[in-house]
Amino acid sequence: MSNTKEYIRNREGSNISKIVIDRDLCIGAASCIAVSGETYELDNENKAVVTHADAADDVTLMMSAESCPTKAIFLFDKEGKQVFPK
Amino acid sequence: MDSYKYLIIGGGVAGTTAAETLRQNDKDGSVAIVSDEPRFYSRIMLSKPNFFLEKISFDSVWLKQKEWYGENKIDFIGGVLATKLNSANKTIELSDGKVLEYEKLLLATGGEARPWPLPGSDKKGVCYVRDLNQAKELMENVKTAKHAIAVGSGFVSFEMCEMMRLGGLEVTLIMREPYYWYPLLDEESGKMIEAALEKGGVKILREAEVSEILGDEKISGVTLKDGTKIDCDLALIGIGLVCHLDWIKQAGVEINKGILTNEYLETNLPDVYAAGDVAEFNDLVLGERVQLGNWVNAQMQGRTAANNMLASSGISGVEKKPFKMVSFYTCIGFGLNIAMSGDVRIKSEYKIIKRGSPEINFFVRVIVDTNDEIIGATFINRTQDMGPINKLIESDFKVTNHESELSNTNFNLKQLLPK
Repeated sequence: MSNTKEYIRNREGSNISKIVIDRDLCIGAASCIAVSGETYELDNENKAVVTHADAADDVTLMMSAESCPTKAIFLFDKEGKQVFPK
Repeated sequence: MDSYKYLIIGGGVAGTTAAETLRQNDKDGSVAIVSDEPRFYSRIMLSKPNFFLEKISFDSVWLKQKEWYGENKIDFIGGVLATKLNSANKTIELSDGKVLEYEKLLLATGGEARPWPLPGSDKKGVCYVRDLNQAKELMENVKTAKHAIAVGSGFVSFEMCEMMRLGGLEVTLIMREPYYWYPLLDEESGKMIEAALEKGGVKILREAEVSEILGDEKISGVTLKDGTKIDCDLALIGIGLVCHLDWIKQAGVEINKGILTNEYLETNLPDVYAAGDVAEFNDLVLGERVQLGNWVNAQMQGRTAANNMLASSGISGVEKKPFKMVSFYTCIGFGLNIAMSGDVRIKSEYKIIKRGSPEINFFVRVIVDTNDEIIGATFINRTQDMGPINKLIESDFKVTNHESELSNTNFNLKQLLPK
Protein backbone atom coordinates (compact mmCIF):
# COMPACT_ATOMS: atom_id res chain seq x y z
CA MET A 1 0.00 0.00 0.00
CA SER A 2 1.49 3.24 -1.06
CA ASN A 3 -0.64 6.24 -0.31
CA THR A 4 -2.27 5.25 2.96
CA LYS A 5 -3.28 6.96 6.16
CA GLU A 6 -3.43 5.13 9.46
CA TYR A 7 -5.63 5.90 12.41
CA ILE A 8 -5.04 4.30 15.80
CA ARG A 9 -8.13 3.32 17.75
CA ASN A 10 -8.33 3.02 21.52
CA ARG A 11 -12.01 2.36 22.10
CA GLU A 12 -12.61 0.39 25.26
CA GLY A 13 -13.61 -3.21 24.66
CA SER A 14 -12.97 -2.99 20.93
CA ASN A 15 -11.08 -5.62 19.01
CA ILE A 16 -10.22 -3.21 16.23
CA SER A 17 -7.18 -1.10 16.99
CA LYS A 18 -6.30 0.44 13.66
CA ILE A 19 -8.16 1.86 10.65
CA VAL A 20 -6.21 2.33 7.42
CA ILE A 21 -7.49 4.19 4.38
CA ASP A 22 -5.84 3.68 1.00
CA ARG A 23 -6.15 7.08 -0.63
CA ASP A 24 -5.31 5.72 -4.07
CA LEU A 25 -8.30 3.39 -3.90
CA CYS A 26 -10.71 5.86 -2.27
CA ILE A 27 -12.98 7.55 -4.81
CA GLY A 28 -15.00 9.67 -2.40
CA ALA A 29 -18.15 7.57 -2.77
CA ALA A 30 -18.90 8.48 0.86
CA SER A 31 -20.68 5.22 1.65
CA CYS A 32 -18.57 4.97 4.83
CA ILE A 33 -19.96 8.34 5.90
CA ALA A 34 -23.51 7.17 5.30
CA VAL A 35 -22.85 4.23 7.65
CA SER A 36 -20.81 6.13 10.25
CA GLY A 37 -20.79 9.89 9.88
CA GLU A 38 -19.23 10.18 13.32
CA THR A 39 -16.13 8.26 12.20
CA TYR A 40 -15.42 9.62 8.72
CA GLU A 41 -15.60 12.72 6.59
CA LEU A 42 -14.33 13.71 3.15
CA ASP A 43 -11.31 15.99 3.01
CA ASN A 44 -10.51 18.69 0.48
CA GLU A 45 -9.09 16.09 -1.92
CA ASN A 46 -12.41 14.18 -1.94
CA LYS A 47 -10.87 11.34 0.09
CA ALA A 48 -12.28 9.75 3.22
CA VAL A 49 -10.45 10.57 6.42
CA VAL A 50 -11.12 9.38 9.97
CA THR A 51 -12.11 12.16 12.34
CA HIS A 52 -13.01 10.07 15.39
CA ALA A 53 -11.47 6.62 15.33
CA ASP A 54 -13.12 5.65 18.59
CA ALA A 55 -16.62 6.89 17.85
CA ALA A 56 -18.27 3.77 16.42
CA ASP A 57 -18.68 0.29 17.87
CA ASP A 58 -16.99 -2.64 16.13
CA VAL A 59 -20.11 -3.78 14.28
CA THR A 60 -20.70 -0.33 12.81
CA LEU A 61 -17.04 0.11 11.95
CA MET A 62 -17.02 -3.25 10.17
CA MET A 63 -20.17 -2.28 8.26
CA SER A 64 -18.58 1.00 7.21
CA ALA A 65 -15.54 -0.82 5.82
CA GLU A 66 -17.72 -3.41 4.09
CA SER A 67 -19.79 -0.64 2.52
CA CYS A 68 -16.84 0.74 0.53
CA PRO A 69 -17.29 -0.02 -3.19
CA THR A 70 -13.53 0.08 -3.79
CA LYS A 71 -12.36 -1.71 -0.64
CA ALA A 72 -10.28 1.27 0.43
CA ILE A 73 -10.82 0.77 4.18
CA PHE A 74 -8.69 -1.77 6.08
CA LEU A 75 -9.25 -2.80 9.68
CA PHE A 76 -6.65 -4.40 11.97
CA ASP A 77 -6.97 -6.08 15.35
CA LYS A 78 -4.75 -5.66 18.40
CA GLU A 79 -2.32 -8.29 17.18
CA GLY A 80 -1.88 -6.35 13.98
CA LYS A 81 -3.82 -8.91 11.96
CA GLN A 82 -5.95 -7.55 9.13
CA VAL A 83 -9.60 -8.34 9.93
CA PHE A 84 -11.07 -6.62 6.87
CA PRO A 85 -10.98 -7.22 3.96
CA LYS A 86 -10.52 -10.89 4.79
CA MET B 1 -39.30 -27.92 -3.42
CA ASP B 2 -36.60 -25.92 -1.65
CA SER B 3 -37.97 -23.65 0.99
CA TYR B 4 -36.35 -20.57 2.49
CA LYS B 5 -37.25 -18.37 5.40
CA TYR B 6 -35.73 -15.40 3.55
CA LEU B 7 -35.54 -15.38 -0.23
CA ILE B 8 -33.80 -12.54 -2.04
CA ILE B 9 -34.12 -11.93 -5.76
CA GLY B 10 -31.04 -10.02 -6.91
CA GLY B 11 -27.42 -10.34 -5.80
CA GLY B 12 -26.29 -6.72 -6.10
CA VAL B 13 -25.56 -4.34 -3.29
CA ALA B 14 -29.15 -4.21 -1.96
CA GLY B 15 -29.64 -8.00 -2.05
CA THR B 16 -26.23 -8.86 -0.65
CA THR B 17 -26.39 -6.30 2.15
CA ALA B 18 -29.84 -7.63 3.02
CA ALA B 19 -28.54 -11.21 3.16
CA GLU B 20 -25.68 -10.14 5.38
CA THR B 21 -28.01 -8.26 7.73
CA LEU B 22 -30.42 -11.21 7.89
CA ARG B 23 -27.63 -13.60 8.79
CA GLN B 24 -26.17 -11.30 11.42
CA ASN B 25 -29.50 -11.14 13.23
CA ASP B 26 -30.97 -14.57 12.56
CA LYS B 27 -28.23 -17.19 12.83
CA ASP B 28 -30.37 -20.15 11.78
CA GLY B 29 -33.02 -18.84 9.39
CA SER B 30 -32.38 -20.11 5.86
CA VAL B 31 -31.35 -17.43 3.36
CA ALA B 32 -30.99 -17.65 -0.43
CA ILE B 33 -30.03 -15.18 -3.11
CA VAL B 34 -31.19 -15.71 -6.69
CA SER B 35 -28.97 -13.89 -9.18
CA ASP B 36 -28.20 -13.94 -12.88
CA GLU B 37 -24.66 -12.79 -12.13
CA PRO B 38 -21.68 -14.81 -10.85
CA ARG B 39 -21.52 -13.12 -7.43
CA PHE B 40 -21.49 -9.72 -5.76
CA TYR B 41 -19.16 -7.19 -7.33
CA SER B 42 -18.60 -3.44 -7.31
CA ARG B 43 -20.62 -1.75 -10.00
CA ILE B 44 -19.02 1.50 -8.91
CA MET B 45 -15.57 0.27 -9.83
CA LEU B 46 -16.51 -0.54 -13.42
CA SER B 47 -16.17 3.09 -14.49
CA LYS B 48 -13.16 3.98 -12.35
CA PRO B 49 -9.60 4.22 -13.76
CA ASN B 50 -7.96 1.76 -11.35
CA PHE B 51 -10.20 -1.01 -12.62
CA PHE B 52 -11.04 0.05 -16.14
CA LEU B 53 -7.44 0.70 -17.11
CA GLU B 54 -6.37 -2.49 -15.33
CA LYS B 55 -4.13 -0.77 -12.80
CA ILE B 56 -5.49 -3.19 -10.22
CA SER B 57 -6.31 -6.87 -10.75
CA PHE B 58 -9.60 -7.82 -12.32
CA ASP B 59 -10.45 -9.86 -9.22
CA SER B 60 -10.50 -6.76 -7.06
CA VAL B 61 -13.96 -6.08 -8.48
CA TRP B 62 -15.45 -8.85 -6.32
CA LEU B 63 -16.75 -7.56 -3.03
CA LYS B 64 -17.45 -11.04 -1.64
CA GLN B 65 -15.27 -14.06 -2.06
CA LYS B 66 -16.88 -17.29 -3.27
CA GLU B 67 -16.46 -18.81 0.19
CA TRP B 68 -18.34 -15.99 1.89
CA TYR B 69 -21.73 -17.40 0.85
CA GLY B 70 -21.03 -20.87 2.28
CA GLU B 71 -19.41 -19.54 5.42
CA ASN B 72 -22.52 -17.49 6.11
CA LYS B 73 -24.94 -20.28 5.15
CA ILE B 74 -26.36 -18.21 2.31
CA ASP B 75 -27.42 -20.29 -0.69
CA PHE B 76 -26.33 -18.49 -3.85
CA ILE B 77 -28.51 -19.63 -6.74
CA GLY B 78 -26.60 -18.15 -9.65
CA GLY B 79 -27.08 -17.94 -13.40
CA VAL B 80 -30.88 -17.92 -13.26
CA LEU B 81 -33.66 -15.37 -13.32
CA ALA B 82 -36.85 -15.30 -11.32
CA THR B 83 -39.74 -15.54 -13.76
CA LYS B 84 -42.88 -15.89 -11.70
CA LEU B 85 -44.14 -14.89 -8.30
CA ASN B 86 -47.14 -16.56 -6.73
CA SER B 87 -47.90 -14.62 -3.59
CA ALA B 88 -50.80 -16.85 -2.53
CA ASN B 89 -48.60 -19.97 -2.42
CA LYS B 90 -45.55 -17.88 -1.53
CA THR B 91 -43.44 -19.34 -4.31
CA ILE B 92 -40.97 -18.07 -6.89
CA GLU B 93 -40.42 -19.83 -10.19
CA LEU B 94 -36.98 -19.65 -11.80
CA SER B 95 -35.92 -19.62 -15.43
CA ASP B 96 -34.65 -23.21 -15.10
CA GLY B 97 -38.13 -24.35 -14.01
CA LYS B 98 -37.24 -24.78 -10.36
CA VAL B 99 -39.70 -23.50 -7.77
CA LEU B 100 -38.69 -22.01 -4.42
CA GLU B 101 -40.87 -21.38 -1.41
CA TYR B 102 -40.40 -18.34 0.80
CA GLU B 103 -41.65 -16.92 4.07
CA LYS B 104 -40.27 -13.42 3.41
CA LEU B 105 -39.35 -12.25 -0.07
CA LEU B 106 -37.11 -9.33 -1.06
CA LEU B 107 -37.20 -8.03 -4.61
CA ALA B 108 -33.84 -6.36 -5.23
CA THR B 109 -33.74 -6.90 -8.96
CA GLY B 110 -32.11 -3.58 -9.85
CA GLY B 111 -32.23 -2.32 -13.41
CA GLU B 112 -30.47 -2.52 -16.72
CA ALA B 113 -28.91 0.10 -18.93
CA ARG B 114 -31.61 1.67 -21.06
CA PRO B 115 -31.07 0.39 -24.60
CA TRP B 116 -30.29 2.93 -27.30
CA PRO B 117 -33.68 3.17 -29.04
CA LEU B 118 -32.45 3.23 -32.63
CA PRO B 119 -32.32 0.65 -35.43
CA GLY B 120 -28.83 -0.84 -35.58
CA SER B 121 -28.12 -0.44 -31.88
CA ASP B 122 -27.26 -4.15 -31.82
CA LYS B 123 -24.16 -3.54 -33.94
CA LYS B 124 -20.79 -4.43 -32.52
CA GLY B 125 -19.11 -1.49 -30.88
CA VAL B 126 -22.30 -0.20 -29.23
CA CYS B 127 -21.48 -0.53 -25.55
CA TYR B 128 -22.94 0.01 -22.11
CA VAL B 129 -21.33 -0.15 -18.72
CA ARG B 130 -24.03 -1.33 -16.34
CA ASP B 131 -22.82 -4.84 -15.59
CA LEU B 132 -19.60 -6.80 -15.51
CA ASN B 133 -19.99 -8.41 -18.93
CA GLN B 134 -20.74 -5.05 -20.52
CA ALA B 135 -17.69 -3.54 -18.83
CA LYS B 136 -15.50 -6.39 -20.12
CA GLU B 137 -16.83 -5.91 -23.64
CA LEU B 138 -16.20 -2.18 -23.46
CA MET B 139 -12.68 -2.65 -22.09
CA GLU B 140 -11.87 -4.90 -25.04
CA ASN B 141 -13.37 -2.43 -27.52
CA VAL B 142 -11.43 0.49 -26.07
CA LYS B 143 -8.17 -1.37 -26.74
CA THR B 144 -8.70 -1.31 -30.51
CA ALA B 145 -11.06 1.61 -31.14
CA LYS B 146 -9.87 4.98 -32.42
CA HIS B 147 -12.86 7.30 -32.18
CA ALA B 148 -15.69 6.93 -29.71
CA ILE B 149 -18.91 8.77 -29.25
CA ALA B 150 -20.55 9.00 -25.84
CA VAL B 151 -24.31 9.49 -25.73
CA GLY B 152 -25.98 11.09 -22.72
CA SER B 153 -25.11 13.76 -20.18
CA GLY B 154 -25.09 12.01 -16.83
CA PHE B 155 -22.50 10.36 -14.66
CA VAL B 156 -21.97 7.34 -16.91
CA SER B 157 -20.95 9.48 -19.88
CA PHE B 158 -18.86 11.76 -17.71
CA GLU B 159 -16.82 9.02 -16.12
CA MET B 160 -16.56 6.97 -19.29
CA CYS B 161 -15.42 9.91 -21.40
CA GLU B 162 -12.41 10.09 -19.12
CA MET B 163 -11.79 6.33 -19.30
CA MET B 164 -11.90 6.45 -23.09
CA ARG B 165 -9.62 9.48 -23.25
CA LEU B 166 -7.17 7.76 -20.89
CA GLY B 167 -7.45 4.76 -23.21
CA GLY B 168 -6.16 6.97 -26.01
CA LEU B 169 -9.38 7.45 -28.00
CA GLU B 170 -10.74 10.53 -29.64
CA VAL B 171 -14.07 11.17 -27.91
CA THR B 172 -17.12 13.11 -29.07
CA LEU B 173 -19.91 13.60 -26.55
CA ILE B 174 -23.40 13.86 -28.01
CA MET B 175 -26.09 15.24 -25.75
CA ARG B 176 -29.65 16.42 -26.26
CA GLU B 177 -29.43 18.91 -23.43
CA PRO B 178 -28.30 22.54 -23.75
CA TYR B 179 -25.58 21.98 -21.13
CA TYR B 180 -24.20 19.12 -19.11
CA TRP B 181 -26.50 17.53 -16.54
CA TYR B 182 -29.41 19.78 -17.40
CA PRO B 183 -31.80 20.19 -15.61
CA LEU B 184 -30.37 18.75 -12.38
CA LEU B 185 -27.50 21.20 -12.44
CA ASP B 186 -27.63 24.90 -13.21
CA GLU B 187 -25.85 26.31 -16.22
CA GLU B 188 -22.84 27.57 -14.25
CA SER B 189 -22.15 24.13 -12.78
CA GLY B 190 -22.87 22.43 -16.10
CA LYS B 191 -20.41 24.71 -17.85
CA MET B 192 -17.75 23.88 -15.25
CA ILE B 193 -18.13 20.23 -16.13
CA GLU B 194 -18.08 20.97 -19.84
CA ALA B 195 -14.90 23.02 -19.43
CA ALA B 196 -13.26 20.06 -17.68
CA LEU B 197 -14.42 17.69 -20.44
CA GLU B 198 -13.13 19.97 -23.17
CA LYS B 199 -9.84 20.55 -21.39
CA GLY B 200 -9.56 16.77 -21.25
CA GLY B 201 -9.91 16.61 -25.01
CA VAL B 202 -13.59 15.71 -25.37
CA LYS B 203 -15.50 17.37 -28.17
CA ILE B 204 -19.03 18.28 -27.03
CA LEU B 205 -22.06 18.48 -29.30
CA ARG B 206 -24.97 20.14 -27.47
CA GLU B 207 -28.65 19.85 -28.34
CA ALA B 208 -27.67 17.08 -30.69
CA GLU B 209 -29.24 13.70 -31.28
CA VAL B 210 -28.28 10.67 -33.30
CA SER B 211 -30.81 9.78 -35.97
CA GLU B 212 -29.06 6.88 -37.64
CA ILE B 213 -26.41 4.33 -36.78
CA LEU B 214 -24.07 3.54 -39.66
CA GLY B 215 -22.04 0.41 -40.44
CA ASP B 216 -22.64 -3.22 -41.27
CA GLU B 217 -21.91 -5.70 -38.54
CA LYS B 218 -19.92 -3.10 -36.63
CA ILE B 219 -20.71 0.55 -36.04
CA SER B 220 -18.74 2.84 -38.37
CA GLY B 221 -20.40 6.14 -37.58
CA VAL B 222 -23.61 8.00 -36.86
CA THR B 223 -25.72 10.64 -38.54
CA LEU B 224 -27.18 13.37 -36.36
CA LYS B 225 -30.64 14.87 -36.77
CA ASP B 226 -29.12 17.99 -38.34
CA GLY B 227 -27.42 15.81 -40.94
CA THR B 228 -23.90 15.91 -39.50
CA LYS B 229 -22.00 12.67 -39.97
CA ILE B 230 -19.52 11.47 -37.37
CA ASP B 231 -17.16 8.55 -37.89
CA CYS B 232 -16.77 6.29 -34.89
CA ASP B 233 -15.96 2.69 -34.10
CA LEU B 234 -17.32 2.74 -30.57
CA ALA B 235 -20.46 4.20 -29.03
CA LEU B 236 -20.86 4.35 -25.26
CA ILE B 237 -24.48 4.73 -24.28
CA GLY B 238 -25.39 6.22 -20.90
CA ILE B 239 -29.03 7.25 -21.11
CA GLY B 240 -30.47 5.86 -17.92
CA LEU B 241 -31.85 2.75 -16.38
CA VAL B 242 -34.85 0.49 -17.01
CA CYS B 243 -36.39 -2.06 -14.67
CA HIS B 244 -37.95 -5.25 -15.98
CA LEU B 245 -41.11 -5.58 -13.98
CA ASP B 246 -43.46 -7.70 -16.12
CA TRP B 247 -43.35 -10.82 -13.97
CA ILE B 248 -43.61 -8.72 -10.82
CA LYS B 249 -46.60 -6.80 -12.13
CA GLN B 250 -48.30 -10.03 -13.20
CA ALA B 251 -48.09 -11.22 -9.61
CA GLY B 252 -50.16 -8.27 -8.46
CA VAL B 253 -47.34 -6.14 -7.08
CA GLU B 254 -48.13 -2.47 -7.55
CA ILE B 255 -45.61 -0.79 -9.81
CA ASN B 256 -44.95 2.49 -11.53
CA LYS B 257 -41.46 2.90 -13.01
CA GLY B 258 -40.24 0.82 -10.11
CA ILE B 259 -41.85 -1.36 -7.47
CA LEU B 260 -43.98 0.78 -5.18
CA THR B 261 -43.27 0.52 -1.48
CA ASN B 262 -44.04 2.43 1.68
CA GLU B 263 -41.31 3.85 3.92
CA TYR B 264 -40.77 0.39 5.41
CA LEU B 265 -39.95 -0.92 1.93
CA GLU B 266 -43.02 -3.15 2.05
CA THR B 267 -44.92 -3.68 -1.20
CA ASN B 268 -48.70 -4.00 -1.36
CA LEU B 269 -48.39 -7.81 -1.03
CA PRO B 270 -47.84 -9.38 2.39
CA ASP B 271 -44.26 -10.49 3.13
CA VAL B 272 -42.96 -9.03 -0.12
CA TYR B 273 -40.38 -6.24 0.15
CA ALA B 274 -38.38 -4.25 -2.39
CA ALA B 275 -35.04 -2.43 -2.08
CA GLY B 276 -32.40 -0.73 -4.18
CA ASP B 277 -32.63 0.73 -7.67
CA VAL B 278 -35.92 -1.07 -8.33
CA ALA B 279 -37.75 0.37 -5.31
CA GLU B 280 -39.97 3.38 -5.77
CA PHE B 281 -40.31 4.16 -2.11
CA ASN B 282 -41.94 6.70 0.14
CA ASP B 283 -39.01 8.97 0.91
CA LEU B 284 -39.54 10.50 4.34
CA VAL B 285 -36.90 13.16 3.73
CA LEU B 286 -38.41 14.41 0.48
CA GLY B 287 -41.99 13.66 1.50
CA GLU B 288 -42.83 11.87 -1.73
CA ARG B 289 -42.41 8.60 -3.56
CA VAL B 290 -39.17 8.44 -5.54
CA GLN B 291 -36.93 5.93 -7.26
CA LEU B 292 -33.18 6.48 -6.91
CA GLY B 293 -30.46 4.57 -8.68
CA ASN B 294 -27.39 4.76 -6.56
CA TRP B 295 -25.05 2.57 -4.58
CA VAL B 296 -25.39 3.98 -1.08
CA ASN B 297 -29.16 4.20 -1.29
CA ALA B 298 -29.36 0.56 -2.41
CA GLN B 299 -27.04 -0.55 0.34
CA MET B 300 -28.90 1.25 3.10
CA GLN B 301 -32.25 0.05 1.77
CA GLY B 302 -31.01 -3.54 1.71
CA ARG B 303 -30.25 -3.17 5.39
CA THR B 304 -33.61 -1.59 6.25
CA ALA B 305 -35.62 -4.14 4.24
CA ALA B 306 -33.76 -6.98 5.97
CA ASN B 307 -34.37 -5.37 9.34
CA ASN B 308 -38.09 -5.25 8.65
CA MET B 309 -38.16 -8.82 7.35
CA LEU B 310 -36.51 -9.86 10.61
CA ALA B 311 -38.91 -7.79 12.70
CA SER B 312 -41.97 -9.27 11.02
CA SER B 313 -40.50 -12.76 11.57
CA GLY B 314 -40.52 -12.01 15.28
CA ILE B 315 -36.73 -12.02 15.73
CA SER B 316 -36.17 -10.72 19.23
CA GLY B 317 -34.50 -7.36 19.62
CA VAL B 318 -35.30 -6.25 16.06
CA GLU B 319 -37.90 -3.54 15.66
CA LYS B 320 -39.56 -2.44 12.47
CA LYS B 321 -38.13 0.88 11.28
CA PRO B 322 -38.65 3.17 8.32
CA PHE B 323 -36.00 3.95 5.72
CA LYS B 324 -34.87 7.51 6.22
CA MET B 325 -31.76 8.88 4.63
CA VAL B 326 -30.65 12.00 2.79
CA SER B 327 -29.71 10.33 -0.46
CA PHE B 328 -26.63 11.43 -2.30
CA TYR B 329 -24.53 10.54 -5.28
CA THR B 330 -20.90 11.25 -6.08
CA CYS B 331 -18.77 10.84 -9.18
CA ILE B 332 -15.29 11.77 -10.34
CA GLY B 333 -13.53 12.54 -13.58
CA PHE B 334 -11.27 15.01 -15.38
CA GLY B 335 -10.00 16.33 -12.07
CA LEU B 336 -13.48 17.17 -10.83
CA ASN B 337 -15.48 15.58 -8.08
CA ILE B 338 -19.19 16.07 -8.33
CA ALA B 339 -21.91 15.30 -5.83
CA MET B 340 -25.62 15.87 -5.49
CA SER B 341 -27.61 15.30 -2.35
CA GLY B 342 -31.22 15.49 -1.31
CA ASP B 343 -33.65 17.00 -3.79
CA VAL B 344 -31.96 18.98 -6.55
CA ARG B 345 -35.05 19.57 -8.70
CA ILE B 346 -35.43 23.32 -8.66
CA LYS B 347 -38.76 25.13 -8.44
CA SER B 348 -38.97 28.84 -9.20
CA GLU B 349 -39.99 29.71 -5.64
CA TYR B 350 -36.88 28.09 -4.15
CA LYS B 351 -33.86 30.07 -3.09
CA ILE B 352 -30.33 29.09 -4.09
CA ILE B 353 -27.39 30.01 -1.90
CA LYS B 354 -24.10 29.88 -3.76
CA ARG B 355 -20.90 28.90 -2.04
CA GLY B 356 -17.72 29.35 -4.07
CA SER B 357 -17.79 29.95 -7.81
CA PRO B 358 -16.56 28.46 -11.06
CA GLU B 359 -13.74 31.04 -11.04
CA ILE B 360 -12.20 29.61 -7.89
CA ASN B 361 -12.86 26.07 -9.12
CA PHE B 362 -15.27 24.95 -6.48
CA PHE B 363 -18.94 25.62 -6.47
CA VAL B 364 -21.72 24.56 -4.15
CA ARG B 365 -25.40 25.35 -4.55
CA VAL B 366 -27.54 25.05 -1.45
CA ILE B 367 -31.22 24.73 -2.32
CA VAL B 368 -33.69 26.23 0.15
CA ASP B 369 -37.43 25.60 -0.05
CA THR B 370 -40.30 27.88 0.92
CA ASN B 371 -40.22 26.55 4.49
CA ASP B 372 -36.75 28.10 4.88
CA GLU B 373 -35.21 24.63 5.00
CA ILE B 374 -32.39 23.13 2.94
CA ILE B 375 -33.73 20.33 0.76
CA GLY B 376 -30.78 19.61 -1.47
CA ALA B 377 -27.40 20.71 -2.73
CA THR B 378 -24.97 20.23 -5.59
CA PHE B 379 -21.22 20.18 -5.08
CA ILE B 380 -18.37 20.56 -7.51
CA ASN B 381 -14.88 20.08 -6.06
CA ARG B 382 -16.23 20.59 -2.58
CA THR B 383 -17.54 17.25 -1.41
CA GLN B 384 -16.26 17.91 2.11
CA ASP B 385 -19.29 20.17 2.54
CA MET B 386 -21.68 17.32 1.74
CA GLY B 387 -21.56 15.67 5.19
CA PRO B 388 -22.57 18.82 7.10
CA ILE B 389 -25.13 19.85 4.46
CA ASN B 390 -26.78 16.44 4.61
CA LYS B 391 -27.07 16.76 8.37
CA LEU B 392 -28.65 20.20 7.94
CA ILE B 393 -31.16 18.72 5.48
CA GLU B 394 -31.95 15.92 7.91
CA SER B 395 -32.38 18.22 10.91
CA ASP B 396 -34.76 20.67 9.19
CA PHE B 397 -32.30 23.50 9.85
CA LYS B 398 -33.76 27.00 9.33
CA VAL B 399 -31.66 29.05 6.94
CA THR B 400 -32.70 32.60 7.88
CA ASN B 401 -29.84 34.50 9.57
CA HIS B 402 -27.34 31.91 8.33
CA GLU B 403 -27.20 32.77 4.65
CA SER B 404 -23.91 34.63 4.88
CA GLU B 405 -22.32 31.73 6.73
CA LEU B 406 -23.54 29.27 4.14
CA SER B 407 -22.10 31.37 1.33
CA ASN B 408 -18.85 32.23 3.12
CA THR B 409 -16.26 29.81 1.73
CA ASN B 410 -14.06 30.24 4.80
CA PHE B 411 -16.86 29.33 7.17
CA ASN B 412 -16.78 25.73 8.38
CA LEU B 413 -20.31 24.40 7.95
CA LYS B 414 -19.86 21.97 10.80
CA GLN B 415 -20.33 24.93 13.14
CA LEU B 416 -23.99 25.05 12.11
CA LEU B 417 -24.70 21.50 13.21
CA PRO B 418 -26.70 20.85 16.36
CA LYS B 419 -24.32 20.01 19.20
